[in-house]
Amino acid sequence: MPFDQDDFEDEIRAHLEIAKAERVADGATFRDAHQQARKEFGNITLTTEAARRQWTPWWVDALHDRVSDVRYAIRSLTKTPAFALTVVGALALGIGVNAGVFTMLKAAAVSPIAGVSRSASLVTVFRETTSGRALNVSYPEFQYLRDHDTAFSGLMGSVLAKVGLGRGRDSRSLFAEFVSGNYFEVLGVRAARGRTLLPGDESAPGRQPVVVLSDGLWRRDFGADPAIVGTIITVNNQPLTVAGITDPAFHGTSVVYDVELYVPITMAPALGFTFNSRESTPSTILADRQAGVFMPQGFLRPGTTLARATAQTEALGAVLARERPISESPARMRTVAFWKTPGGAPAVLLPTLGLLSAMGLLVLTIACANIAGLVLVRGLSRRGEIAVRLAIGGARTRIVRLLVVENVVVALPAAALGLLLAAYGIPLVIAWVERLAAPQRIFLNMQVDGLVMTFAVLVACGSAIVFGFVPALQSSRVDLAAVMNEVSPRGATPGRLRAALVVAQVAVSLLLLVGSGLVARSLDAARHANPGFEMKHLATVSVDVKQNGYDEARGRLFYRRLLDTVRADPGTSSATVAAYAPLAFVDQPSRHIAIEGYEPKRDQDLAFLWNMVGPDYFRTLRIDLAVGRDFADRDDETAARVAIVNRTLAERFWGAAANAIGRRVRLDGEDWRTVVGVAADVKYIRINEAPRPYVYVPFLQAYRPAMMLQTRGPAPSDVLVERARAHITALDGELPILSARPDEDRMDGALMLFTLSARMLSVFGVTGMALAALGTYGLVAYTVKQSTHEIGIRMALGASRSNVVRAFVGRGLRLGGLGAAIGLVAALALTRLLATALFGVSATDARSFGTALAIVLGGVMVATVVPAWRAARTNPLSALRHQ
Amino acid sequence: MTLHSSRAEARTDLLHGTLDMLILRTLRWRPQHGYAIGQTIRAQSSEVLQVEAGSLYPALQRLAKKGWVTAKWGQTEAKQRAKFYRLTPEGKQQLVREASRWTELVNAIARIMNPAAAPGTKE
Repeated sequence: MPFDQDDFEDEIRAHLEIAKAERVADGATFRDAHQQARKEFGNITLTTEAARRQWTPWWVDALHDRVSDVRYAIRSLTKTPAFALTVVGALALGIGVNAGVFTMLKAAAVSPIAGVSRSASLVTVFRETTSGRALNVSYPEFQYLRDHDTAFSGLMGSVLAKVGLGRGRDSRSLFAEFVSGNYFEVLGVRAARGRTLLPGDESAPGRQPVVVLSDGLWRRDFGADPAIVGTIITVNNQPLTVAGITDPAFHGTSVVYDVELYVPITMAPALGFTFNSRESTPSTILADRQAGVFMPQGFLRPGTTLARATAQTEALGAVLARERPISESPARMRTVAFWKTPGGAPAVLLPTLGLLSAMGLLVLTIACANIAGLVLVRGLSRRGEIAVRLAIGGARTRIVRLLVVENVVVALPAAALGLLLAAYGIPLVIAWVERLAAPQRIFLNMQVDGLVMTFAVLVACGSAIVFGFVPALQSSRVDLAAVMNEVSPRGATPGRLRAALVVAQVAVSLLLLVGSGLVARSLDAARHANPGFEMKHLATVSVDVKQNGYDEARGRLFYRRLLDTVRADPGTSSATVAAYAPLAFVDQPSRHIAIEGYEPKRDQDLAFLWNMVGPDYFRTLRIDLAVGRDFADRDDETAARVAIVNRTLAERFWGAAANAIGRRVRLDGEDWRTVVGVAADVKYIRINEAPRPYVYVPFLQAYRPAMMLQTRGPAPSDVLVERARAHITALDGELPILSARPDEDRMDGALMLFTLSARMLSVFGVTGMALAALGTYGLVAYTVKQSTHEIGIRMALGASRSNVVRAFVGRGLRLGGLGAAIGLVAALALTRLLATALFGVSATDARSFGTALAIVLGGVMVATVVPAWRAARTNPLSALRHQ
Repeated sequence: MTLHSSRAEARTDLLHGTLDMLILRTLRWRPQHGYAIGQTIRAQSSEVLQVEAGSLYPALQRLAKKGWVTAKWGQTEAKQRAKFYRLTPEGKQQLVREASRWTELVNAIARIMNPAAAPGTKE
């Protein structure tokens, strides 16, 4: 039985009739009786409303209140579109910046592996030497941990590898993961077609030649052939049977690269991967406990803490070490959260992303201060309205609630706009990274998804409420009598708050600009830094001969013949091969090295980066030799074992470069080598790395199937690249080229993170400055408007326009100056934290600070002069009539 | 005691309950229309309790919703149209409960306010 309004009104009419009749009976006139009855009854509308409310559930009631609040908020906002648009715009910029950074952060830390739920809670197991060097776990160790470590609900292993797909001229190189049989099961990834790999696929080395394709590879290279399962494809010249296609959302566990093939780890030796093992047959390679294969990963069993898992895994590691002691460098098992995986993409990216997040928050802070200022100003200009509401009995809570609802109404479109900004910005970043990485395929889990949306809405509403609420409270604290009597509405507190907001915005934008200036200058310095080798007129082409099924003997022959033909090319001034290129950006494995005459301290783990290089390496890369000679053709298997070390190693262990010649070094498990030369230091991985010891061994006295051909010549680099590529194809047309690019590009890749942060920070800096200028403008304009009366009096008393302008500019600049001073102090204190992200500039670089200061003060100046000048143009008479 | 006709949520449960109880009590012996209920409460309280229409009618709706009273249009003795409220059996039970609760409450308050003279206290 719902509320019947007609019936209720009928009842009230009946009530009034009865009351009237009674009064008439008591002798009142008909007219008086009617009036008395009405008066006695009270407010009919309110009564009807209250009666109706008895029938509506409480939540309908509450919802109705909110809806009317929202309706009212929208109505009052559309009355001041400039205010509404400015707030939406400012907040949208702040949200856009932060949603963008959050999307990147999500890709690195929150859900790094697409297609795997809770992927951030994966835990990684690795071996750590006493000096903190992280090592892969060998296959037998993995098997032991997998079978005994009860801290994990399942422990899988996977190693990223480049393999060649197909045969002949159509073959191409792509990323594969060699995985344990339980890989898909542990990750919870299903097959879209056929089946995933299963534990049974890992039963014995070389026994299960199966492969699982990624959905993308299946569509791109196999035309989405529905009959693909069961067919045979060629990987590194080995036939593998397609077992299935993975879920389209899954792109492997590398976080950065797009993995297209999944092969059982037991097939890796058959495909030419030896994991630095000195064994030669597939089963002995996999049984070799010296050969680190991968860092196992898994989800913790429910209820297990990381600390407990660490303890258990370490204990298991100790059991292993006691039963069968292995390496020369003592190591223990460690477990860490996925994002801390040594050498993993998140670990590399997070410092940069952290910096970007912090800077993004600064932009948001400015946007919020901006909004607070606007709300405050608007609240002040609405004091009349608020006073009236309070006077007619509006509850204070209700008025505050209204102001807060107004802010939320503004926050939602701002969140939507901000998301739009991020959705358009992120693909630009992805496209840029893809271009840098080409021809390697990149996959970054950087979509603007539900998580990002939730983040944006929460941040938008949070900022709108927090920064709209305080000023809203200010507004509700209205002195009724004062406002109603039109006494000056300017209270002392809001004035001070307003000034504080200007100061804060200026200070924070200065901080931002200093930060972005420092990073931009670092990038510039890094671009012009000397990497220790000559990048111009140098081309690097990488191949991996095992991708075409070469064994060691054939491989050696191939590289020898390749060097001969390239050198015979008149366009080549010198050529060499190398295992690693300098400025690689990606971390390389280091090796344990013994140094003659140096007795390592107990438990000291002496491991350095190293390279395996061909004859003429130092001549080709133009790396200076301090003393001694370059590697030559005569340094082959039959000759005495030799090595070249860098200056840092020579000086650290033998005192001076000259002392190094004739001394001996030994790489783990090899023979002693005599040092024949000392080379200048090179930036091996990153441009901002500290000098580090480095050892070169001649390629002709060692072997590695994956090498880079490096050629130097007078021709432009692009031509050199094409020639080098042609030489390789001429020798073996079926060998996939892994990458071929001029070394001049190397700098772009090496500076990728620098460039990313510099570009984003300059966007942040400009955005922040624009917001701060806008905020300052708004507040100064408001002050000027409030002072119209004062201006009128001044001008009537004979003040010139420039006098008036000067007075206001003076006020604005004082605030700006104070803000800049605070910003400077904060910047001096905070940029020290940036020191690790900087290169070639000091954290107190005068130029960055000077530029930022000039921009900020210039911005404040413009934001102050314009409204002041407009004020000065007012006619004194109309100004005096204003109030 | 005056029962204000302000917004429903502003009133306390105690007042709610008390007004409901008074209405139920008024309907104890015979059905009555709204105006008469107000007049009865006023007269029986010797003009102390003025039940305003703004409280009375929402309260009647509340009681109807709970099923303690039912309403039916009829005629007054003066042949005027009016809606008459009648106590349901549930309403009668409710009245009994309310009444005993009320007695307890009054006694309790009386013991606090006037410890010596209150009925039911042991010296």
